[in-house]
Amino acid sequence: MKKAKEKNKDGKIKVLMTKVGLDGHDRGVKVIASLLKEAGMEVVYLGMYLMPKDIVDAAIDEDVDVIGISLLSAGHLVFTPLIVEEMKKGGLDDVLLILGGVIPPEDIPILKEMGVHEVFPAGSLTEPIVTYIRNHVRR
Amino acid sequence: MKAAQKTVPVTQEKDVDWDKYLAAYYEKPKSSLTWSGLDVKEVYTPADLPPERYKDIGDPGQYPFTRGIHRNMFRGRYWTRREVIGMGSPQDTHDRSKLLVEEGGSGLNTIADIPYEMGLDADHPWAQNEVGLTGVCITNMYDMETMTADIPLDKVSWSLITASTAAVVTMAQYAAVAKKRGYDLKKLRGTVQNDPVHFRYCGFRPASPLDLSVKLGTDVIEYCTKEMPLWYYTTVNLYDLREQGVTAPQEVAFGFLIARLYIDEMIRRGYKVDDFMQRFAFYVSCHIDIFEEVSKIRAARRIWAKLMKEHYGAQKASSQQFRFAVHTAGCSLVPQQPLNNLVRVAYQALAAVLGGVQSLHCCSYDEATCLPTETGHTQALRTQQILAYETGVTNVSDPLGGSYYVENLTSRLEEEIYKIMDEVDKVGGMYQAIEKEWLDRVFEKEALTRQKELDNRDKILVGVNMFTAEHETAAPLGVQRIMKASVKRQIEMVKKLKKERNKTLWKEKILALKAAAERRENVIPCMITATEAGATTGEMMGAVRLAFGYPYDPMEIIQAPF
Repeated sequence: MKKAKEKNKDGKIKVLMTKVGLDGHDRGVKVIASLLKEAGMEVVYLGMYLMPKDIVDAAIDEDVDVIGISLLSAGHLVFTPLIVEEMKKGGLDDVLLILGGVIPPEDIPILKEMGVHEVFPAGSLTEPIVTYIRNHVRR
Repeated sequence: MKAAQKTVPVTQEKDVDWDKYLAAYYEKPKSSLTWSGLDVKEVYTPADLPPERYKDIGDPGQYPFTRGIHRNMFRGRYWTRREVIGMGSPQDTHDRSKLLVEEGGSGLNTIADIPYEMGLDADHPWAQNEVGLTGVCITNMYDMETMTADIPLDKVSWSLITASTAAVVTMAQYAAVAKKRGYDLKKLRGTVQNDPVHFRYCGFRPASPLDLSVKLGTDVIEYCTKEMPLWYYTTVNLYDLREQGVTAPQEVAFGFLIARLYIDEMIRRGYKVDDFMQRFAFYVSCHIDIFEEVSKIRAARRIWAKLMKEHYGAQKASSQQFRFAVHTAGCSLVPQQPLNNLVRVAYQALAAVLGGVQSLHCCSYDEATCLPTETGHTQALRTQQILAYETGVTNVSDPLGGSYYVENLTSRLEEEIYKIMDEVDKVGGMYQAIEKEWLDRVFEKEALTRQKELDNRDKILVGVNMFTAEHETAAPLGVQRIMKASVKRQIEMVKKLKKERNKTLWKEKILALKAAAERRENVIPCMITATEAGATTGEMMGAVRLAFGYPYDPMEIIQAPF
């Protein structure tokens, strides 16, 4: 934890980007990870095949400000509550949770109800994502 | 149908920016590059197509098949109208398949879900959350029987989309069911995707070690060549490569080099290309730049024919022909203003048909939102039917052949494709390019470029970076959901099967499979008998993986039960 905080000294927003479950569609998540880096954020890309607890454990270890999860497996309604629960357990109330991927518009309010802060579905441009993070990051 | 009763509100008066209006009147395209970035002239003339060039183009049905593999093309037969289906349980997939047959689809086309492609059983701890979400999970013979129930396998052409190493299992399961139902395997028609090498780039790396991918992909080719001669034993997937964000010439170059890995392995096993190439097929993307896509397909046909004849010594025309199905470009579709996707798909399907496609899947307009709804699915099929039955595109073979522009673009794409192939050669060939992750880096770079093109408006995507509107709060025709109960039932059935099967027989057959894999024999005959003895997808893949020194479970969670 201490080491991670030192890394954050330069005031950079620190983002964890990841996939969840078996979903291997990783084109989008890697692109956004690179673009957030280009926008001056510190990005940790966790990769694929991770369960909610793995993700939250990594978020705690890395002391991140934002968790960004990409879902193109139609598993967003299954995995989101599990992730939110793990975040609560880990005391990450001040960490932004944002989702991207193939997500029906109908599900966005449901996901927000579950505890997701914002959803950027397929077809999103980079600028609104960067702006959203900058304006909403909580610390 | 609540929506149908809604009254449509009258248009509200809005403030108009008249300067912007005037600018739009005089506006001209910002770019004249093709989608893949080729610079093109404003006009092409006979100088771009000297008559002696025609030798290298040839008539449709004539080497090098630039203009198509048949002289009469669609006069002989329409392309196969094949919509991809895969959702929920095997029963759900079976039911949707029959619906689309009823609606005029002419080829069945079922797709595996993520667990099945990964080689996991439906009851695997990692699979349970995801069974049936993006396709169908066939864990055992019973699942395959359910999916194919009451469909006459000798009358249909069935495309089984399992691309990963698990394609070998799919083929065994299909053959086992067909045998049980009394069909002669030699008469069955269909396709299996079976391109495990490319599938490492679709998120299935744990299931696709490179050596095993070449070995098992080739096992399917070899088995079908001997036992199911009408079956298209591979559909090398250029489409998925394109979906990574690469350009049209990269799509063809990389796809062809992957195809060669299987061909070279067949040759190493002692076959000549004329013994087996007749049933080799490809899956191609059609993106939004119509002329570039048509030219890409024409260039691909010419390059493939020359490669087969000049490099591999293929004598038979059928071993030189580039046969392909098209999947319209899923990555070109967006959730914003979703009805626009109907139009995109229609143009892309037109490109496929103008390119002389053998079999077509049109994406549904809700591709970027969810699995296709029944209405979305049917609409995609209707798009094909309008093209086939209304527009007259079926009248003449290769209608763009001889166009100064299209012939020129075909040749330029051909050059580009050769250039990219040479680049891969310099890396040490495709096997090396994959192992060294050179190809990964190309994909990552291209994908990033594609996003920046949209961010910077170098490419226009209506509804995304121009002509945007408020985000929709609902998909216009609803969202396809998976019936949780039927998937749960499937998982329970798998658990039950594992408890109730004849354990002695099962163990004997699964160990025989493992032994065959250790001897590096073709695993399909043993997989068929193991399937008949109740062995499951995960167990059979696990047996082969162990024989090759890989962990039984690609997720490394469960242990071998034998």
